[in-house]
Amino acid sequence: MEVKLLSEHYEKPEFQKLEGYKKHGGYQVLSKALKMDPKAIIEEVKASGLRGRGGAGFPTGTKWSFLPANGEPRYLLCNADEGEPGTFKDRLMMERAPHQLIEGMLISAFAIGSKKSYIYIRGEYDYPIAVVRAAIGEAYKAGYLGKNILGSGFDHDMDVYAGAGAYICGEETGMISSLEGLKGQPKLKPPFPAIQGYLRKPTIVNNVETLAAVKYIIRDGAAAYRKYGTEKSAGTKLFSVSGNVVRPGNYEVPLGIPLKTLINDVCGGLRPGRQLKAVIPGGSSAPVLTAEESWKVTMDYEALAQMGSMLGSGAVIVIDDSNNMVDMLSVLMHFYHHESCGQCTPCREGTGWLNKIVHRILHGHGETKDLDLISKVAQQMMGKTICALSDAAAMPAISFVTKFRDEFESHIRKGGHTAQVRGAAHA
Amino acid sequence: MPKIKINGKEVEVPQGSTVIQAFKAAGQDICHYCWHPGLSVAGVCRLCMVQIEGMPRLQIACNTEVKDGMVVNNTSEAVKETVRWGMDFHLINHPLDCPICDQAGECGLQEQYMQFGSYDPEMAEPKVKKHKVVDLGPTVVLDSERCILCSRCVRFTDEVSKTHELGIFNRGDRSEIGVVEGKPLDNNYSLNTVDICPVGALTSKDFRFRQRVWYLKDADSICPGCSTGCNVKVHYNEEGLWRVKPRYNPDVNGYWMCDSGRDTYKFVNVQTRLLAGKIGQRGSWAEKSPAEATRSVAQRLNEVVEQSGPDAVAVVVTGQYTNEEYADLFKFLVQDLKVKNIFHWLNNPEKTTEFDGLLLRGDLNPNTQGLEGAFKANVGKGNWEDLQVGLSGGKIKLALVFGPENQSSFPDIKEKVQMLSQAQSMVWFTACHSADLDEAGCETWQIPLKTYIEKSGSFTNFQGKVQTFKVGTTVVPQALTVSEVCELLAGRDLNWALRPKSLGGAKANYATTHRGAL
Amino acid sequence: MFTLSPEGQEFVKAELKRYETTYSAIIPCLYRVQKEHGWVPPEAVSYLSKLMAIPEAHIDEVRCFYTMFNQKPVGKLHVQVCTNISCAMNGSRELADALCKHFGVNDGEVSDDGKVTVSRVECLGSCGTAPMMQVNDQYLENLTTEIAIQKLKEMGA
Repeated sequence: MEVKLLSEHYEKPEFQKLEGYKKHGGYQVLSKALKMDPKAIIEEVKASGLRGRGGAGFPTGTKWSFLPANGEPRYLLCNADEGEPGTFKDRLMMERAPHQLIEGMLISAFAIGSKKSYIYIRGEYDYPIAVVRAAIGEAYKAGYLGKNILGSGFDHDMDVYAGAGAYICGEETGMISSLEGLKGQPKLKPPFPAIQGYLRKPTIVNNVETLAAVKYIIRDGAAAYRKYGTEKSAGTKLFSVSGNVVRPGNYEVPLGIPLKTLINDVCGGLRPGRQLKAVIPGGSSAPVLTAEESWKVTMDYEALAQMGSMLGSGAVIVIDDSNNMVDMLSVLMHFYHHESCGQCTPCREGTGWLNKIVHRILHGHGETKDLDLISKVAQQMMGKTICALSDAAAMPAISFVTKFRDEFESHIRKGGHTAQVRGAAHA
Repeated sequence: MPKIKINGKEVEVPQGSTVIQAFKAAGQDICHYCWHPGLSVAGVCRLCMVQIEGMPRLQIACNTEVKDGMVVNNTSEAVKETVRWGMDFHLINHPLDCPICDQAGECGLQEQYMQFGSYDPEMAEPKVKKHKVVDLGPTVVLDSERCILCSRCVRFTDEVSKTHELGIFNRGDRSEIGVVEGKPLDNNYSLNTVDICPVGALTSKDFRFRQRVWYLKDADSICPGCSTGCNVKVHYNEEGLWRVKPRYNPDVNGYWMCDSGRDTYKFVNVQTRLLAGKIGQRGSWAEKSPAEATRSVAQRLNEVVEQSGPDAVAVVVTGQYTNEEYADLFKFLVQDLKVKNIFHWLNNPEKTTEFDGLLLRGDLNPNTQGLEGAFKANVGKGNWEDLQVGLSGGKIKLALVFGPENQSSFPDIKEKVQMLSQAQSMVWFTACHSADLDEAGCETWQIPLKTYIEKSGSFTNFQGKVQTFKVGTTVVPQALTVSEVCELLAGRDLNWALRPKSLGGAKANYATTHRGAL
Repeated sequence: MFTLSPEGQEFVKAELKRYETTYSAIIPCLYRVQKEHGWVPPEAVSYLSKLMAIPEAHIDEVRCFYTMFNQKPVGKLHVQVCTNISCAMNGSRELADALCKHFGVNDGEVSDDGKVTVSRVECLGSCGTAPMMQVNDQYLENLTTEIAIQKLKEMGA
C-alpha cells in the first residue's frame, strides 16, 4: 500500500517553508552530498535503479553519465511542465515541498558539475510558481544557493522560468527551445541535450519527482531505495489517480503494486454500481488497458510494457462503464491536435486528420472502414517525427479502436445515438 | 573519406557529410522538401527517410552523418510506404489547385508525388482553411493553403539575408508563414524565398500569371547587374525573357542572387531595345540598318582621322562589355587607329567599393576589371577634365561612346549626352533606346548593340575571376556586338551566314526547370 | 500607440539581463504586456521588438505559439474550464456549457458587461479534483455548476 518516502511530510503546512523543512532534516542531505565525490553520487544514483519519472523512464544515472567529461559549463533543467493529461503530482510536490525539490536539484547539480539550473514550470501553475520562487529566495538567504554553498566551494544559481501554455514544452528539447525564448518546438536529435542542450551547452533535463528522489537515494543509500519496487523498476512512485474512483488523488506507492490494489484499496474503488471499463495507466499518451488487463497488471515499467502500454508519468485515468469510448477518444484527439507544435508534417497533419475522423464518427457520420483508417494513419505517425508527441497521439488512437472496436462499431451502426456522450463535444 | 553504400552503390564522401548529401553524390533519388543545401537542417518534412543497416528505426537522411561502412537504402518497402504516407500527409490539406497555380510544372509536390506518392489518397475530411493571396511585401505573394511549412523561406531570412521578416505563426495544422504588420518582406534578396519554395506558396509578383513554365526555355548566363557576376539561368521564350534565377556556383554566389540582379532581363526585351541604326539629331532622325549606319560611321571616322589626326577622336567606354569585345575594341582603336583619348565612364564612382555583405557590390558593372585590364595592356586612361577641355576647345571632333547596356544603373546618362554632344559628331553604341539620346543636339549616330544574353564572351568579376558564357537567345538579331562594330569600322564585312537570323534562341533545351527546389 | 508603464519598461530591461540570452526575456515580457493590458495585442510586438532589439517575427512567433497569451481581449474574469479527459468524465463539458449559458456567451467570447469570458482549455493538472477551472490565476476545484457560479459571483461576475 502507500509508502511515504518523498511525500512523508506533504500534509504538514510548515514543510513548505525553509524553517519547517529544516525541522524535518532539510538540507542535511545536501551537506552530506557536498562532502562526497560527485562521481560517487552518480554511481549511487545508477545503483539505485532510479528511472526518469516524467514519462520516458530512462535510467537517471545513465543519462547523467552522457555528459562530456570536460569542464564545459553545463545546465541542469528541472522539467516541471506537467502537462500530460491525468498528471498532477509535480504540482503537489512544488506546492507542498519546494525545498525538497531544491535540495534534490542541488545534489544533482553538484554531481554533474552544474553551476546554473532552471525550474521550468508550466505557466498555468501560478501558485506553485510563487511557492517555488519564494523557496528559492529563502534558500539564497540561507546560503543554500549562491557562492560557496555551505563552505564547500560549490557555487550554484537557480531560477524559475514560467512556461506559457504548450504541452510540447514537457518534451525535453521543446522545453529547452522554450527556455531559449523560442517557440517550444523540439530539436533534432542528435545532438542530444547532454552533448548540446540549452544554448548548445551540455544539459541535463530531469523531472521534478526524479530530482526529489535523488535526495532520498543519497540520504538512505541505493540499497535502501531498492527495497521498494521491483528489480527493474526500483523505488516508490507517485501515481496521480483520476477519473471514476471514489478517492482520486496523488498516492506514493512502491513500483510493482497491482493496479487492482491501487484502484480498490488505495483509491477506494469504483463508484457504487459501476463496472470498470478501461484504465489509461500512464497519462493520456499511454495505450489504454481493458478492464480485464487492468485487473491483472502491476504498476511497473516492465509489466506495463509487456501489456503493450507504459508507465509514463504515472497518471492513472480510471474509466468506468458510464463513459463512451468514442467520446473519450474524441477528447484525447482534440487535445493532441491542439498541442501538436506543427513542425513535423506527419504529426501536424496526422493529429488533425485523426481528430476529424474520430469526431465524424462521434457525431454519427462514421463508417466501419474509418476504424481501419484511424489505425493506418496512426501507425504512420509513429516513430516518424522529431519528438514523441506524434506517437503519443497515435498510441491511444490505435489502442482505443482496437481494444474497444465493438463499442466503436456499435456507435457507428447506431449513427452516433449511443448513450453516455455527455456535454457538447468539441467540434 | 568515409565510404558508404547507397542502394547497393558505393560512394565516397567528405568527412562530415550527411546521408542525403551522399545520396546526391551517388546520383540516387531521394524525396525531400525541407532540406536545402544552402540552409541549416530543419528535419521537419520527414520525407528523406532511409533504412540504415543496424538501426531499428528509419532515419532521416538530412540529419544523419555518414559513417564509414554505412549501408543505406531508400528502396525497401518500409521506406517506400513511409514516404508514400509522408507525401499524403503533405497533401491532405493542400488545395490541389494546380490548374491555377504558378508553380505547376516546376512544383516539388507534383514532381515528387509522381515518383514517390501513393496514388491512393484516403483523406475524406474537410481541409483546413488558411489565408490566400497574402501580400508579404513589394515582391512576394503568399498562399498559405499551398504552403507545406518546410520553413525554407524562414530559414533563408534568418540565416542568409538575416533580415528576419518571416516567421511561422500559430501551431499544429493552424501554422502559417507570415510577416508581422509593419515589417514586410522587403529586402534585396526576397525573391530567393520564391526560388526555394518547393510549392506554389510563395510566388513572385513580377512573374506570377505571366507564363506557364513549361513554355519557357532556359540558358545559363552571368548576371550583368554588378561586379559580383552571379551565375544565373535566364528563362525565355519566343516573346522574350521572363525571369532570371540564380545558378549554383560555390565560388561566386552560392545558391543565391539579389533582387536587383533579377531585373536584368527587362532591358533585354524588344520593348526597350534600339532596333535600327538612327542618324540625325534632336527632332530629326533617319533610320538605317545597323550595319549600314555603322559603315557611315566608319566613313566619318576615317575623315576625321585623316583631316585632324587620331587625337581628334575621343572614345568613352563603360564596364558593361565582354573581355573579348574590349580586346577587339582596343586593338582597333589603339593599335590600328592610334587613338589615345580613351575614357572610362564609371557610374556612381563614389560607391564602387561598397558591398552589402552578401552579393551586391557598389560597382554596378559586370566587367570593370576587364576594362581596367584592357586599359592597362593598351593605353593610359584618359582624364575627364582633359576631355572637357578638348570638347569645349573644339579639338575633339568625334566622340565614340560604348554606353551603358543596363541604363538603370547609370544615373548620369543625360549629363554625358550633353557633355559629349559638344563634339561635332557623336556615335553612341547602345542596346536600348534612350530619350536623353534622342535629345542630342549634335550630329549623332545611334547604333544598336546586343545584350549579354545575346552574345558569347566573358566577364571578369571583382575577384578577377573570368566567367565565360554563351549565346542564350537572340532578341534583336540585327543588333551588333562591339567586336562586330570594330570589324565594320575597320571596313571589313561580317560573316552574315553565321549570324542568328530570328528569335527563338540558339539553344533548344525545353527546360524542366527545378528552381533550386530539388 | 502601444506602450508599457514605466515600471513595465524597467521590468523589460531587467529581464533582458536576467538570462543567458535576451530571447529568454520574450515570454516574461509578453506576460508583462498581458498583465498591463489584459491581452497581448499585435501592436505590442513592434513595441517590444524595439525595446528588446529582437526581430518582430521572433516575438510574434512566441506570442502566437503559447495559448496563455490572449490573442484577443478577455473579460475581467477569464474562466478557463478544463475539458480534458478526467474533467470531461466528471462533467466539465456540461459545466462549460452551463457557464456559457449563464453568462450568455459562446466559447471564448467576452460577456456584454465585459466581466466574463468562458473558454474551454486543455488539461490544467488538477485531474484529481475534477471538474475544475482556472479563473485568471486561480484554480477552483471539485466544482458543480452551482458552486462555480456562486464563486464567480463572489469574484465579481
